[in-house]
Amino acid sequence: MTHRELELQLDAYVDGELAPAEARELEAHLKECGECARLHEARVALSAAIRGQVPAFRAPDALRNRVRAAVRAAAGAAGAPLSRWVVTPVARRWLAVAASLAVVAVGSWRLALGRAGAEALAGQVLASHVRSLMPGHLADVVSSDQHTVKPWFNGKLDFSPPVYDFAGRGFPLLGGRLDYLGGRPVAALVYGRRQHLINVFLWPAVGGGPVGAATTTRQGYHLLHWTTPEYVYWVVSDLGMSELRDFAGLLRQADSTSAPAP
Amino acid sequence: MEPSELERFEAIVLPHLDAAYTLARYLTRNDHDAQDVVQDAYLRALKYFGGFRGEGGAAESSAARAWVLAIVRNTAHTWRRRHRADALATEFDEELHSEAVAGDHPAAALDRDTTRESVRQALDRLSPEFREVIVLRELEGLSYKEISDVTGAPVGTVMSRLARARGRLREALAVGEEGR
Repeated sequence: MTHRELELQLDAYVDGELAPAEARELEAHLKECGECARLHEARVALSAAIRGQVPAFRAPDALRNRVRAAVRAAAGAAGAPLSRWVVTPVARRWLAVAASLAVVAVGSWRLALGRAGAEALAGQVLASHVRSLMPGHLADVVSSDQHTVKPWFNGKLDFSPPVYDFAGRGFPLLGGRLDYLGGRPVAALVYGRRQHLINVFLWPAVGGGPVGAATTTRQGYHLLHWTTPEYVYWVVSDLGMSELRDFAGLLRQADSTSAPAP
Repeated sequence: MEPSELERFEAIVLPHLDAAYTLARYLTRNDHDAQDVVQDAYLRALKYFGGFRGEGGAAESSAARAWVLAIVRNTAHTWRRRHRADALATEFDEELHSEAVAGDHPAAALDRDTTRESVRQALDRLSPEFREVIVLRELEGLSYKEISDVTGAPVGTVMSRLARARGRLREALAVGEEGR
């Protein structure tokens, strides 16, 4: 037996891959031969060192949430093409609805305040949410730090969106991205809740007073929207409605306590 | 997809997310790309789930693990080829890259732990074909046959790659211990 053959056999032995008869033969040899016994020890020590110094990772919670949400969204859109370049049938339907209504809504932002506008907007919000669950679309800035996410929007939007972290209340901030809704660029903030993802869309309110929260449910997703004196908010998630209401409550509370004094 | 099929997917494939992330992490060598690769791989796995047939029990669990790791591995290699093409075509993007750092997973702190660097660094310097056999064997405990299934290389090739990769790591370990 050459030295190289022995090493390969030793590898197979330590990896538990040697046939029982060969393993017994090798073990007998290891008892006889000090040099081979030392090789064996070194080989066992190497595996221990690799396992000690090369950690197995635990998947980050954000990834766990993303994968689960993306899988559910893709499975829900039966037979959906999974390439990131292709819009799912669900999103495509909403985009078509949004597009046909957008023609009506061009130049008429006021319409968005009306019922038809809100309906169209709900379709766009849902399409955006579903699209955000596709690979690489969730966040342009991935951070749980509001002081990283907020400045990221500087120079990308004509407003500086308020960004809060509710990790202490079980809704950690996961990141933010730019999105496009109702004919304008908007801020999208992403929050997590266990395996669920929440998208918050906001942009400056134009005219009209504050409007209380309204809710709708589409395709198994819940949508909430309201208007503060400063911002229009849309919140969408597959999270249960009552928890989503709790989340909206946190947002509204944070907004009202941080708003500049009149 | 039928709801029962989605439930089966979630019960059989999702539990291997840690193994999938670990392999992707060592193949891409960073958290951000590893996450993208894993998500992409899981969507592919969902698409081809109809072709996966397990028999239930522990055998099904390890078969599902090898199956999903094979998809992660192929996704990561596709990513690497595309990434290499991109690297030739685009300049370094300061903002993009600094954000990738901002989004670092806490485990990245482990990477910077200097006492762990010698074998880790040696592993990162290995070619992906050597890196993956080490991760699959030492970290995931796959059999030679399973590694052969995941990588598409014959068992004999798996064995010689393992031997060569271990040789390199042994050298790094020896250097690390001299330095102590």
